[in-house]
Amino acid sequence: MSPNTWVIEMTSHKSRSFPNPQRNPPHPRSQLSNDAFSRRAAPGDSPVFEDISTILSVLKASGLLPFYEQLSSYEVGPPSKTNEFYSFFVRGVVHALTIFNIYSLITPNSAQLFISLRETDNVNQWIELVLCIFTYTLTVFVCARNTKSMLEIMNEILKLDKEVQRQFGVVLGNNCNFSVKFLVVIVCCQAYIMVLRFYAVKGEITATSYILIAFYAFQNGLTATYIVFASALLRIVCIRFHFVNQLLNAFTYVQQQKLAKKSRRQPAASNMEHFPEESLFIYRMHNKLLRIYKSINECCSLIIVCFLGYSFYTVTTNWYNLFVQITNNKGLISAHILQWCLAWLCLHTSLLALLSRSCGATTYEANSTSQILARVYGKSKEFQNIIDKFLTKSIKQEVQFTAYGFFAIDNSTLFKIFSAVTTYLVILIQFKQLEDSKLEEQVQNEA
Amino acid sequence: MSQPTPLVQPLLLQFQQLFFLSKMVGVLPQNLDKFRYKNVLEKSRNGMLYMLGVLSIYVVLYNLLIYSFGEEDRTLKASQSTLTFVIGLFLTYIGLIMMATDQLTALFNQGQLGELYERIRVVDERLYREECLLDNSCIAKRIRIMLIMTFIFEISILVATYINLVDYTQWLSLLWIVSAVPTFVNTLDKIWFAVSLYALKERFEAINATLEDLVMEHEKYKAWLTGDDATTATVGNRTADSQQSSPPPQYDSNLEYLYKELGGIDTGSLRNSGGKNHNKVAPIAHSMNSFGETIPTPHKPQRMNTNPLINMAHESELNDAAKVEIKLNNLCQVHDEICEIGKAMNGLWSYPILSLMAYGFLIFTAQLYFLYCATQSQSIPSLFRSAKNPFITVIVLVYTSGKCIYLIYLSWKTSLASKRTGISLHKCGVVADDNLLYEIVNHLSLKLLNHSVDFSACGFFTLDMETLYGVSGGITSYLIILIQFNLAAQQAKDAIQSFNSFNDTAGFVGAATEMDNNSSTLYDMITTTMMTPTY
Repeated sequence: MSPNTWVIEMTSHKSRSFPNPQRNPPHPRSQLSNDAFSRRAAPGDSPVFEDISTILSVLKASGLLPFYEQLSSYEVGPPSKTNEFYSFFVRGVVHALTIFNIYSLITPNSAQLFISLRETDNVNQWIELVLCIFTYTLTVFVCARNTKSMLEIMNEILKLDKEVQRQFGVVLGNNCNFSVKFLVVIVCCQAYIMVLRFYAVKGEITATSYILIAFYAFQNGLTATYIVFASALLRIVCIRFHFVNQLLNAFTYVQQQKLAKKSRRQPAASNMEHFPEESLFIYRMHNKLLRIYKSINECCSLIIVCFLGYSFYTVTTNWYNLFVQITNNKGLISAHILQWCLAWLCLHTSLLALLSRSCGATTYEANSTSQILARVYGKSKEFQNIIDKFLTKSIKQEVQFTAYGFFAIDNSTLFKIFSAVTTYLVILIQFKQLEDSKLEEQVQNEA
Repeated sequence: MSQPTPLVQPLLLQFQQLFFLSKMVGVLPQNLDKFRYKNVLEKSRNGMLYMLGVLSIYVVLYNLLIYSFGEEDRTLKASQSTLTFVIGLFLTYIGLIMMATDQLTALFNQGQLGELYERIRVVDERLYREECLLDNSCIAKRIRIMLIMTFIFEISILVATYINLVDYTQWLSLLWIVSAVPTFVNTLDKIWFAVSLYALKERFEAINATLEDLVMEHEKYKAWLTGDDATTATVGNRTADSQQSSPPPQYDSNLEYLYKELGGIDTGSLRNSGGKNHNKVAPIAHSMNSFGETIPTPHKPQRMNTNPLINMAHESELNDAAKVEIKLNNLCQVHDEICEIGKAMNGLWSYPILSLMAYGFLIFTAQLYFLYCATQSQSIPSLFRSAKNPFITVIVLVYTSGKCIYLIYLSWKTSLASKRTGISLHKCGVVADDNLLYEIVNHLSLKLLNHSVDFSACGFFTLDMETLYGVSGGITSYLIILIQFNLAAQQAKDAIQSFNSFNDTAGFVGAATEMDNNSSTLYDMITTTMMTPTY
């Protein structure tokens, strides 16, 4: 088959009808048998997304994700009526609780929540609570709206896996063990903070306070869990991009030279003749992955923006509190507030780092495909045309994970957030010192 | 530069002095003997132990320094605001952190560093085979200049501070010498990076020069073919036109003179083969060869040396698509390999660069802030005593910022040079005006577009001019914030003092019932002092 007849379609979604190169006995690809892609026998009826099943079940139970039906090992279907009703019910309960929460925030019912010494701290805490409520409510709403597209994303990923399985006999692992660890961290931090709050309340704790504190921890935990879920999805996409890059890497001139050196001893044909067929598959896979990446971005970006804002605020206030506690001239460092601040900082910093890292890694993998392809030197014009087509396509194709279009999320985002936090801290602490010197003055005045 | 027997001289040959110095100070752990005899960097266990020992001695000495000079700071702590104290503590240790980062990274990377230079050697060999030669001798010169500059800066800062600001009657004051160690170690490490980066930039430029040479030769060739009957004036016009697109004009005119002479010699042989563009130009190559042997005093040695070789090749090259394709392909691959080396190098030095940038930012801000504090005769941390003297401050600032800015500038230039290759390649396509060649150029320039070498510090920020601008903006805004608050705090303090003295005098006469009155006057005083713009 002549490779020039192929058209690389990118826009049409359903209407693609490729002459699918059905090579049922997939040719041996020794270079792919490294550890990055766990090679297992075809799974029978094992649940899809086994690696992130814990986090999925948590999100399903809290109504953020639908209880989808598993049609086959490579397809999920919409949820059944009862399950749909369950999710609906959970969301209703959550919204009712939120309304109760807001109501008690503006009435004196929640007075016990505000335990701090100074007036400004209480305002801070109030803002933090409102932000948390807002973030979580937004998460629930967005998730409810995006149920279908989330299922579509899952199906797309599964379809891709199926194709890879058919072509290469490789089952792509997801390598998402971090999700469980983060889940444990989130639960621990939230439980710890909850306990700290219960201890901090003076006098008898009313039932309302119990509910409010527990619900607050629940909201925080679930928002954080959703962020971990988004990172896990990104990791899954990243691994697939990496697989594509590995496939392509076998054709680069460096690998070809290595092969040529080997074949001097044992006459083995260069694998370049497979390039046209493989490249078709690779381009299609890459395009599909880009589409998946974009739809994940669309699904999550609003939540992520909100979370980043909330996180920024929390990190700043906690650093500030921590600093105030440490440099307290009176010498009474409250261990309680220290622990509290450290727990929050640990949670939010690790989540921010996870999110920016997984976004950065995926973007890097997606962008490096064209860089690797640029290293493929085809002998004939046809090969060069194949390469050129892809490279031309990817010239102005900026692959980025944006936060609702405001800014791109990658490692530099982490840097920017922390430099902003530092700037605010410097300003805040300076104001604090002015305030303190004024207070001192007044004390002297009184004396 | 390159000798035929080992094909090319390894780049590391130029690093002799730097390596011995770094080895002595404990910047690099690699094996000394291997370097001396074979010019390779190899892992060495003894070097590692030595380095660790040196590092721990530095840490101990530095802490001793901080402790012995910190006694003055104890009174400072009571009087000064906590923020200034904490920042001061952090600032005193950032130098040590930076040094430790450099040394530990060098320890971890000791194997990979050798591989890096081996890869550069392979690239040099390939470049040599493609007939673009490199002059490594200026690298040794550069290293020497940098080392001398470092010594001048370090010693002038150290001596000036020691004489002016340290109480040298005490025996312990000799410890002050240790304060120069972290910056010195760091500078040595950065010289390695900077010089290697410069070598990469040279390689990119060599590729660009080779491509541009191809273009130029072809232009001359075309000029002979089409305008051999015409007067020399039209030839001059043609080349003048083409000069607008090619950047180094004085080089062009320099060569043009030679070409005119050459054209005179070769018109006969050219006329014989004239009119047919695809003719192999063996006679030209031959005459070039004879010309190349008698080349007069080269103006630019490196390029002139490459000329005869290219002259031989080019005539057949830009006309012979198959041959030029191989050459361009090879150049493109070498370009990619250099880009990869650049990335690997950036990876090796990413943490040291991050710490250097943090150090530069902090020290620059702190030094200026403490200079301000010193002019207001406020007390400053003892390790920053150099800020008491504006002259020494200027030297410190130039030294610190020079390091950071040079690295950023060099990274920026290197990535620019790597991007220029595409332009040079396109010139080849344009000048040849051949469909087949144009296709090749198109294909390769698409590839070149995807070779990216961007230097970044751990992916947090890229090293280019934009970052430099951002950092300087950051320093300015921090300084403004710090100085404003310092002013306000100072005014508040003054107000208290004046109130206290006022209170003392008033205490004799005043009754206790006037307390309310007093506080209101105090309030007035503060507001008036706050409102008045002059200090």
